[in-house]
Amino acid sequence: MSDVSDVTHDRSVPLPMPRVGPVGEHAPKPIRVVLNWGRRYSLWVFNFGLACCAIEFIAASMGRHDFIRLGVIPFAPGPRQADLMVVSGTVTDKMAPAIRRLYDQMPEPKYVISFGACSNSGGPYWDSYSVTKGVDQLIPVDVYVPGCPPRPEALLHGIIRLQEQIAGERLSGRAIAERLGGAGRLGPADGEGAAAPRYTAHRTGSAAEVTRARVEPPR
Amino acid sequence: MNDETKRNGPTNKGLLPGILKGLATTAKTATRTTHTHEYPDVAPDLPPRSRGVIALLEENCTSCMLCARECPDWCIYIDSHKETVPATTEGGRDRQRNVLDNFSIDFSLCMYCGICIEVCPFDALFWSPQFEYAETDIRDLLHDKERLGGWMETVPPPPALDERAAEPAEVAAANKPARMPRGRAT
Repeated sequence: MSDVSDVTHDRSVPLPMPRVGPVGEHAPKPIRVVLNWGRRYSLWVFNFGLACCAIEFIAASMGRHDFIRLGVIPFAPGPRQADLMVVSGTVTDKMAPAIRRLYDQMPEPKYVISFGACSNSGGPYWDSYSVTKGVDQLIPVDVYVPGCPPRPEALLHGIIRLQEQIAGERLSGRAIAERLGGAGRLGPADGEGAAAPRYTAHRTGSAAEVTRARVEPPR
Repeated sequence: MNDETKRNGPTNKGLLPGILKGLATTAKTATRTTHTHEYPDVAPDLPPRSRGVIALLEENCTSCMLCARECPDWCIYIDSHKETVPATTEGGRDRQRNVLDNFSIDFSLCMYCGICIEVCPFDALFWSPQFEYAETDIRDLLHDKERLGGWMETVPPPPALDERAAEPAEVAAANKPARMPRGRAT
């Protein structure tokens, strides 16, 4: 698995940590409810279709399943206008820099759904030399939809899970920093991350963690 | 070639036929019912063979590890230990039996090929059409044996046999007359 810092062949530009602004951060609860209500039902979706799961994603966007009923709007003109990124399909190490870059271009608040076994953990390509073992090594993922490929209804279920999560969230600069793994406060513990602060924002797994045997679910 | 013919193309039909054509299409589809499935409100009608999730019938599992070894993704984790069952009769031999400690399937890795279900010699694994288990934490996609057992209630009954098919092996065996001891044949 190639390191994500390979992404920065270009000179990495140290970007400031995204903030929501003091007014949004200290909004009282009724205002936050309204804000979250607006966010959860106008998710402009950015389709990162990479393999066969993308066909199921397109099926979910078409008339029969029609995820615009749930407030997911197909399709954003580009990542800069998108709120939700659905990574559906096999993420290869070759594609990884593009995913990371387009994710970085999305404005906050942004959400990611990992759709299908390949983008969850590599799936059938768990032993491949060229497949990234899960898109969550590159970007923070909010909802994992299992399946190979999942049904279109499974994506709708994942969207509902995401909307439940958005309804309960409190968006603040600190929450964003926490989700992104605390970029900008690179200490000596971060080690090699100091070279490319932009791409070490999200905690990325080491090779040993990728090949571990069995992880206990949290209790 | 003036501006209008450029816009409308070389046919030069004007604006009206296009509008009428569009209205006709609208009128045609307006009378049809929508074919949208109202998923969160109406449960989808899934065929019983649909591959949603794998259910475990723990009583049938002998922890023979065949499923874990045949799994192309190696996404089945089985731990078991042996237990000695003391002899029930005088002078009998102690027996050993496998006790299943842990049976987990990692559904973030599973490719839903069904080889584990095919290969299981004791019918401990079943397909269930249930698909609603998207998670916010990937570690929750590792279903332990309690959760896999919970899927059993969503497993549909097996499909009916074909007309004039041979009766199932279990029924045939039960209906066969018991073997008589030799010498007492009637």
